[in-house]
Amino acid sequence: MTPKAEAVTQDSKDEEAINRQETRLALKRFGRKRWNLIPILQKVQARLGYLPREAMVEIAAYLGIPEIDVYGVVTFYNQFRLNPPGKHSIRVCLGTACHMKGGYITLDAWKRRLDINSGETTADREFDLDTVACVGCCTMAPVTVVDNQPEGKVEPTKVDGILLAFELVREAEKKEAKQ
Amino acid sequence: MKATHSPTIASAFEDIKSRAIAHWQEVFDSGQPVILVGTATCGRAAGALDVLETIQTELEKLGVDCPVFEVGCLGHCYAEPLVVISKPGYPPICYGYVNTVIAERLVREFIAGDNPCLEFVLGALEENDLIPSFADFPRAVYEKKVVLRNCGHIDPTDIEHYIANDGYSGLATALQTSPEEIITEIKDSGLRGRGGAGFSTGEKWEKCRDTRGRPKYVICNADEGDPGAFMDRAILESDPHSVIEGIIIAAYAIGARYGYIYVRAEYPLAVERVRIALRQARKLNLLGRHILESDFSFDIRLFEGSGAFVCGEETALIASLEGQAGMPRYRPPYPPSSGLYGKPTVVNNVKTLASVPPIMVNGAGWFNDIGSGESRGTAVFALAGKIVNTGLVEVPMGTTLRQVIFDVGSGIPDGKRFKAVQIGGPSGGCLPESALDLPVDFDSLTGAGAMMGSGGMVVLDEDDCMVEIARYFLEFTQRESCGKCTFCRLGTKQMLTLLNDITQGKGTQADLDTLKTLAEDIKAGSLCGLGKTAPNPVLTTLRYFEDEYHAHITEGCCPALMCQQLIAYYILPDKCERSCDACVGTCTVEAISSNKRRIKVIDQEKCVKCNTCLTACPPQYNAVIKLSPPSEVPAAEK
Amino acid sequence: MKTISLKIDGKQITAREGDNLLWVALDNGIYIPNLCAIRDKPEPMAACRLCFVEMSGQTQPVTACTETVTEGMEVNTRGTEALRLARRGFELLMASNRVDCAHCVRSGSCELQKIAHHLGTKLKSKRLRELRRDLPVDNSHPQIRYDPNRCVLCGRCVWVCQEHLKTGALGFAYRGFERVVTTFKDEPLATTRCDQCLKCVEVCPTGALLPKEKARAEARLRA
Repeated sequence: MTPKAEAVTQDSKDEEAINRQETRLALKRFGRKRWNLIPILQKVQARLGYLPREAMVEIAAYLGIPEIDVYGVVTFYNQFRLNPPGKHSIRVCLGTACHMKGGYITLDAWKRRLDINSGETTADREFDLDTVACVGCCTMAPVTVVDNQPEGKVEPTKVDGILLAFELVREAEKKEAKQ
Repeated sequence: MKATHSPTIASAFEDIKSRAIAHWQEVFDSGQPVILVGTATCGRAAGALDVLETIQTELEKLGVDCPVFEVGCLGHCYAEPLVVISKPGYPPICYGYVNTVIAERLVREFIAGDNPCLEFVLGALEENDLIPSFADFPRAVYEKKVVLRNCGHIDPTDIEHYIANDGYSGLATALQTSPEEIITEIKDSGLRGRGGAGFSTGEKWEKCRDTRGRPKYVICNADEGDPGAFMDRAILESDPHSVIEGIIIAAYAIGARYGYIYVRAEYPLAVERVRIALRQARKLNLLGRHILESDFSFDIRLFEGSGAFVCGEETALIASLEGQAGMPRYRPPYPPSSGLYGKPTVVNNVKTLASVPPIMVNGAGWFNDIGSGESRGTAVFALAGKIVNTGLVEVPMGTTLRQVIFDVGSGIPDGKRFKAVQIGGPSGGCLPESALDLPVDFDSLTGAGAMMGSGGMVVLDEDDCMVEIARYFLEFTQRESCGKCTFCRLGTKQMLTLLNDITQGKGTQADLDTLKTLAEDIKAGSLCGLGKTAPNPVLTTLRYFEDEYHAHITEGCCPALMCQQLIAYYILPDKCERSCDACVGTCTVEAISSNKRRIKVIDQEKCVKCNTCLTACPPQYNAVIKLSPPSEVPAAEK
Repeated sequence: MKTISLKIDGKQITAREGDNLLWVALDNGIYIPNLCAIRDKPEPMAACRLCFVEMSGQTQPVTACTETVTEGMEVNTRGTEALRLARRGFELLMASNRVDCAHCVRSGSCELQKIAHHLGTKLKSKRLRELRRDLPVDNSHPQIRYDPNRCVLCGRCVWVCQEHLKTGALGFAYRGFERVVTTFKDEPLATTRCDQCLKCVEVCPTGALLPKEKARAEARLRA
């Protein structure tokens, strides 16, 4: 093994240990009852940002159910993620009103600008892109939820505007870091 | 309704109520101005939080002491953000389209000064001689607020606001009545489930009460998954206590010890406001052990749904509460016989439960006097799409679609023509102009091939393609199908594949025939309501708009110019104002350039059809147009 | 338990009241196509939608697995409407199934062939689009070969592995068209807690789960 590969393995082992630790901490608040499975998964995902393999193993052991059973529930619901999220989350609403007012065009714009597909995270881990069935702001269609904040009337030009705002913040932070 | 007078319950509630009223009067009858800012999710999307912050900073700067409350949704979502100012000497005034600049002026000129800034007024909340009120709006003729009675008027995070407005009085009455009498009362009111199916609420409760087995459960279904519907979100964000009170009354009637509110996790603000409301209700002993010092004990847990549309189906919702994947199971047994953990369970929709407290206060007869035929009470609709007044409306059952769309909703914007209205989301259908005189109730809409569903109403105009809307809904149901039964899992996928082909101009007449038979078979063969209703959007568009399907198939043409594969953007050379560069500058993929005569030309290979140039081209030129089929683009440009 | 009598396809049958119609029919030698029915399971899955029958007093065909028998009941398993729905359900299943009988060792004992024969249909219909998922075959296990492309999601293997024997190696994951019988994190079957009881292979109605020695024979067939 090259030294670099060794370092990576070490990192992922550390990350795994942290994930296990975090999961165990989250589990403390819950009884060992099957009906707690979904609230547990939500709690763990809130802590880790996603549900890594080791978290699911811990949860299955805690509740005394097969791991595949936990996996089945995790993959059934839209809310749960199997991969780490980006720093900023972009959720394009594809409810009826948004679709008819061009939500699919907005989604295309996000895909083009971020160069990823829906359900993916950018290589620099800055953004993850996903769709959402409806956030209930149909009157502001088309809507994109940026970091949990619904933004109304997001057309391709506004996509560029939102990204530019993030870019400006990032540059300001860089400048600050230098000083 | 006869209430057996119980001195302890009555006096326990009287204490709470008089304190709440004193608290309310201290704020609203004190002679000082009060500001209400609508900060439900739709308001927030329009910038209500910035407006709120501006108001607070401005008040601080001016050193004016004026209470500011965050309230829910008034229903006039088209004009968000909304601000209501009550100032002595004036009626309460609602301002629309408020931004930070307007907010600043309102504080400076109206709160600190004496200018009510009439130019920003949407309407007064009460009739008066000074300012036109909402009662003068054409929609006021039809609107009747039962479920939405408090929305936008009270602070949803302050239980005393709710109590001061008759809140929990229904519960206090109910607790002094026998459960059987409450069930009779609900039956007499004619209340039917607002989740879509329209089953008699009283009968459901009675069945659950009569079934042996303990404990019993009440579940509030707030897993509002229909894309295009937001009534339940608005109610939970604006008036969570009305739902909680309804749940407690239901629990008392059926003899339940525990209840759940199942809210979508996609509604974080609703989740937060329900959580606060539950905490406050417990503190006042309106929840928990010996509610209002009676013998009745009951508590509610909040459960966040994890995003699966199928969980709106009651057996799937129950599976989800039990920690399983949300798969529907075969019914019967229905939940009132065997529900959560196999125990008798009532599952009611948000709007059904929010209708219960006013029935308790005003009586079954009052509720039964509203509505028409077998549909009593009011219908709450979320109006969205191509309609002027998008927002939340509540009208008596039996109001016609035309009245809802053209009088309450003020019709179609931009002088466009009405084409169809999509009702009931993925389970509903698209109704054409000829169906506009149908009354909105449970039975008439089903007869026309749609259904009331939970109440989403999306209006479509001449620019909307009916094949595309059918395809959109099939894509939705296909994605949200749980995958348990063959017809829904594979049948909707087959239908979607056919519709994809048709909207891309690759469909055949034989495909259309297969589509029709598949739709009928999926309807007959599926296990649960999701599958059984999934073909409705296709069946109704085929029934009323079959010619559009033929245009796609035989001519490769999308008459509404919507299907991306079948259209091309084109700049009319004789309309292009050559010195203007608006389209070139805004094109997101640099597909537009100037030719030798400085006329703008679109490179069809590069164009991603994002519509930006069409919106950017100034209205006095209107040079950018869409053509279908794409072969219509003059050869010169290619 | 009270004994009652009913008629299936004109044949007089006695059964215990409350028994499941599908099993009463099958036990009396009347075949009704089915894939997801499990005798020991208290609640019917009602997932495969093949066991449609027509019944007196019902305007629409119903699934036999969700009905209990009652006195005087009259059932027709060969009604036009019921057969049309069953055929359509089967056609849908097969349009997403890898049909490869010539190279499949289950050929001859496969329940899909039996159903096609009973319904008088071909294994592949031309009307529907072929919607295959092309999932990888799991060959890791010393005794079992699992080909998800031949799976019809009947759930029999999941039932024996999870609920009946409490082993918990196999289960359902994902949703809708993506739904699949799989292992934790889709890892190779050999690395799971499978205790090699091979009950899953026994109950599989198709060539999805095969014992290795047969799978080897299949490889020879291919070569």
